[in-house]
Amino acid sequence: MAQKYDIKAMTEKIRALRRDAEALKAVSGGIPTVDRNADRILADVRMLEINISDAAEILGK
Amino acid sequence: MNKGEYWNPVLETLPQEKLRQLQLKKFQEIVTWAYDHSKFYHQLYADAGLEPGDIKTFDDIRKVPKMEKSMMRDVQGPGKDNFPYGDILCVPLEQVTDYRQTSGTTGQPVYQADTWQDWEYGTEAYCYALYAQGYRASDRIFLPFGYNIFIAFWAYHYAGEKLGCEVIPGGVLNTEARILKMQELRATAMGATPTYVLGMAETARKMGLNPPTDLCIRKITVAGEPGGSIPATRKRMEDAWGAKVYDQVGSTEIGHWGWECRQQAGLHVNEALYLIEIEDVNTGECIDRPGKRGKMVVTTFNRLAQPCIRFDVKDLIEWNPEPCACGRTFRLLLGGIKGRADDITKVKGVLLSPTAIEEVVRDIPQLSNEYLVVVTKKGDIDDITLKVELLPKFQKDEASVRSVLTDQLRVKTNLGYNIEFHPYESLPRSQAKSRRFQDQRPKLH
Repeated sequence: MAQKYDIKAMTEKIRALRRDAEALKAVSGGIPTVDRNADRILADVRMLEINISDAAEILGK
Repeated sequence: MNKGEYWNPVLETLPQEKLRQLQLKKFQEIVTWAYDHSKFYHQLYADAGLEPGDIKTFDDIRKVPKMEKSMMRDVQGPGKDNFPYGDILCVPLEQVTDYRQTSGTTGQPVYQADTWQDWEYGTEAYCYALYAQGYRASDRIFLPFGYNIFIAFWAYHYAGEKLGCEVIPGGVLNTEARILKMQELRATAMGATPTYVLGMAETARKMGLNPPTDLCIRKITVAGEPGGSIPATRKRMEDAWGAKVYDQVGSTEIGHWGWECRQQAGLHVNEALYLIEIEDVNTGECIDRPGKRGKMVVTTFNRLAQPCIRFDVKDLIEWNPEPCACGRTFRLLLGGIKGRADDITKVKGVLLSPTAIEEVVRDIPQLSNEYLVVVTKKGDIDDITLKVELLPKFQKDEASVRSVLTDQLRVKTNLGYNIEFHPYESLPRSQAKSRRFQDQRPKLH
């Protein structure tokens, strides 16, 4: 089943999401709404990693 | 089974050997995290002479000390670090966004800390369950539970939202008002304890409503009690509501580790997010094949604030030898939770599981949904009384029901009972977890 999906491409996009959310926090200047919303995005990025990226390693993708 | 049946087809169809690899990797990660960030876990592992790097193979997992609820209680509360969580906590207090606590059924409640990411993890785990049970964005789900400090159906609420369902919080309404609101809004699904699902149907009928025809509930997810996996109780719920009933299991400390899919063939263990081990109750030996019941030991892989690693839950479970027709590779448990190791008690020298009594009572259509088992001691001899209620239209059937009960209880539990018939609706009703087994024998010290 997993072979039907482009797990490698998804993993790369997920990595980019993390990079962007962390970069956003880095330039937020401490604006609370930016920091907290970025944190929430990162929590969801972690769910994507758990669901896809972590399996990619096992599947050799 | 088409791919539209899975919340995550990548993990839910991962071959078992790949799942084992994933579990080992995740186990190593969570042990390392806990060792590095929690004084409690660091000390626990140091005392056992264990360092995270010692876990190299799947078998090494069993070298890691187990923990249990009493150990958490010991490190939590007033006067301890990181109030109220204690030094089991792995993150700074300011990162904790959610507090819940256990119900305290077996003693002092355990305080559970979660970060927002942990909370998302719990929600994610519940999404697997609801999606497998057929919940979709077109569902309007009703939550007839008191939103409070217990974990109960919180994750059901958040998972429903995440799936795109419309979620109606039926929090402070009374039962009648909840039923009317479900009817008014044509809710299609709900989540509750088995006791409350049956109780609501009873109340609806008293209001002159017939749930299968007057309400639109077609899916019910039950949790908190074993009834969802007891065939007779499930049948009562499904008949009462004209709906499919699915079991779901979890706890405050662990999260939502198991659920039934639409096949209703037993509880799937979410082996991508949790590690479930089964141990022989007496020897502690690992049971990795079907055919033998044992005690569950569970690890939650990615809950970071207050990790749950090799938690000795004391629930009794057994692997199912059959794969599920749904195509998921997550293993099935045979018949759900079979009881708790510390609930299985000896009465008259015989091991008794309260769920066996429920199976018998709920299979007799003349009886109401409620019952109570009381064990006392008369002199040196155990005495066991089963209190039941006849439904109003079967009041004349007492003798025949008594006879069936006596026979079936003897067959299923190997015990004789005093059977008491009580007036309909006189036994205690509960909206939450019911305690229908009362052991009133003097405790031995």
